[in-house]
Amino acid sequence: MATEETVLTEKESLALISQMINKAKNAYHSTGVGAMLWGAVIAICSLVKLSEIHFNYTFPFDIYLLTLLAIIPQIYISVKEKKQKPVKSYDDIFLDYVWLAFGISIFLLVHINASVFGSWEPVAVEYKSLTGHSAAFRFSEFVSPFFLLLYGMPTFITGAACKFKPMLYGGIFCWLCCIVTVYTNIKIDLLLTAFSAIIAWFIPGLFMEKEYRMAKKQEKMHV
Amino acid sequence: MFKDLDPILHSQLRLAVISLLISVKEAEFTFIKEKTNSSAGNLSVQINKLKEAGYINVTKQFRDNYPLTMCRITPEGITAFEKYVNALQSYMKL
Repeated sequence: MATEETVLTEKESLALISQMINKAKNAYHSTGVGAMLWGAVIAICSLVKLSEIHFNYTFPFDIYLLTLLAIIPQIYISVKEKKQKPVKSYDDIFLDYVWLAFGISIFLLVHINASVFGSWEPVAVEYKSLTGHSAAFRFSEFVSPFFLLLYGMPTFITGAACKFKPMLYGGIFCWLCCIVTVYTNIKIDLLLTAFSAIIAWFIPGLFMEKEYRMAKKQEKMHV
Repeated sequence: MFKDLDPILHSQLRLAVISLLISVKEAEFTFIKEKTNSSAGNLSVQINKLKEAGYINVTKQFRDNYPLTMCRITPEGITAFEKYVNALQSYMKL
């Protein structure tokens, strides 16, 4: 860039403004590690749960506890990425709130499900003891659509806000699976949840990581 | 009638700095330097001028024992930038 004394025409000034705004927009690439982590964790949890049901065994602990454990590396990743960021954009702040709202919503949904399941379970047991067969309505069959509904929301918003198509399509995929899982049994629900996590988060995470590495490479070439 | 162009903003490097800062909440000095392809000395002088005009806030802190200069546009800076762009557009229409 020339020195401050360079006199600009009106056209040049406007061109410079739009050029700089675009540079600011494309300033930072996420490492994608967080997206890959959550994609993998949710997929593993769903597949392990599916294998428990299919092969009729019980894992030594509730596999979904893995999601709580994953919060620790996620905090580390977030802090590290924030430190590395040379610029804080309004989009980042907005998306931080979107994902925070998502986390809180998931926590509330788990709480609601546990509460409803707790209330429903004795009724189902009593029904079975009286009639000799299980109740036609099984609450666990209807849990997955709610989660998929929530998975799609922040994923779609992030994809749209960052103009990142893999996440945009990932969010849409979650919603499609949400509709399908309303009509399928729990095994298919868990399988589709695992697919959704891979398509909405893990694969976009891989793309992000690739873009990040390429951006780093370019930065090094310019230094 | 021509609107006067703000002389503080009507310089290449200062306009570049303000244009970068208008679209972000805050940015490091090194980031601005890299994106504007300017030298540290020149950029430092221009940032000081913007700061004296009240268009940006500059905070100095330390990260991992290294000095870190953060720049952020002020409400006055946003107003001045908007006026500048409006003035440019009125010139372009003629």
